[in-house]
Amino acid sequence: MLPYKFEAGTPNIEGAIGLHAALDYIDGVGLEAITAYERDLLAYGTRELEGIDRVRLVGTAREKAGILSFVIDGVHPHDVGTIVDREGVAIRTGHHCAQPLMDRFGLPATARASIAMYNTREELDVLGRAVRKVLEVFG
Amino acid sequence: MSELTDLYQEVILDHNRRPRNFHALANASHRAEGYNPLCGDRLTLYLSVSEGVITEAAFEGAGCAISKASASMMTETLKGKTLAEADALFQRFHRMVTTPPDQPVEDMGKLSSLAGVREFPIRVKCASLAWHTFKAALANEPITSTEQT
Repeated sequence: MLPYKFEAGTPNIEGAIGLHAALDYIDGVGLEAITAYERDLLAYGTRELEGIDRVRLVGTAREKAGILSFVIDGVHPHDVGTIVDREGVAIRTGHHCAQPLMDRFGLPATARASIAMYNTREELDVLGRAVRKVLEVFG
Repeated sequence: MSELTDLYQEVILDHNRRPRNFHALANASHRAEGYNPLCGDRLTLYLSVSEGVITEAAFEGAGCAISKASASMMTETLKGKTLAEADALFQRFHRMVTTPPDQPVEDMGKLSSLAGVREFPIRVKCASLAWHTFKAALANEPITSTEQT
């Protein structure tokens, strides 16, 4: 039957079924509940990092997604990433494929923790401790 | 945590804080830019070579503690070396940072402080960027990237 007989290969059937299940899951939890939870984590993580000497948050708009971009005075973000990783927290470091924006802010790189519905306050505590550990290593 | 203290040894932290030969070289005979596009590390290396001997080596750039310390120590080491000696050092250094961490490596003096990157595979390129840039400068390649083969 046209046009299906001209479709090459097998369509991504399992992908479509997986997406359906994922959307059902999100609906089940509720977008509003997810938003509220992530906002709470973001506020918590912001306080946590703001309380650490030599740490500066990059991007502090009142309305923003669950992202904590930061730099530490005197320590390159890649070194931050390696140490934080060893403490059990995976963050992204570097230019985040956003070189024009980084140039605009005059930043070669930042460290960035992303928060989602599956994260917890305890994990942000670990991040805070890991960042303090960075300052310990670099003196 | 011993792997972390192996990676960030005092000598590396010192070269990161106070990089040696960290400036441009106006009368350089060779020059190249090294770039790691995946992480954004970038350095410019300057060499003065006269009658087969490296008389001056200097660098500028932005990068992590490992890449900066490696470039700093490399420029210190290269000064006064013949091109043949420098090439041998490149080979030895490359072998050192790419040997699996459970195998012994030869002592390269101060440069051995960078052997700790072997426990952190994604940081090996931070340590070798300066050395690859050195090879590029001698080959008169203006730009080198860690993502070229």
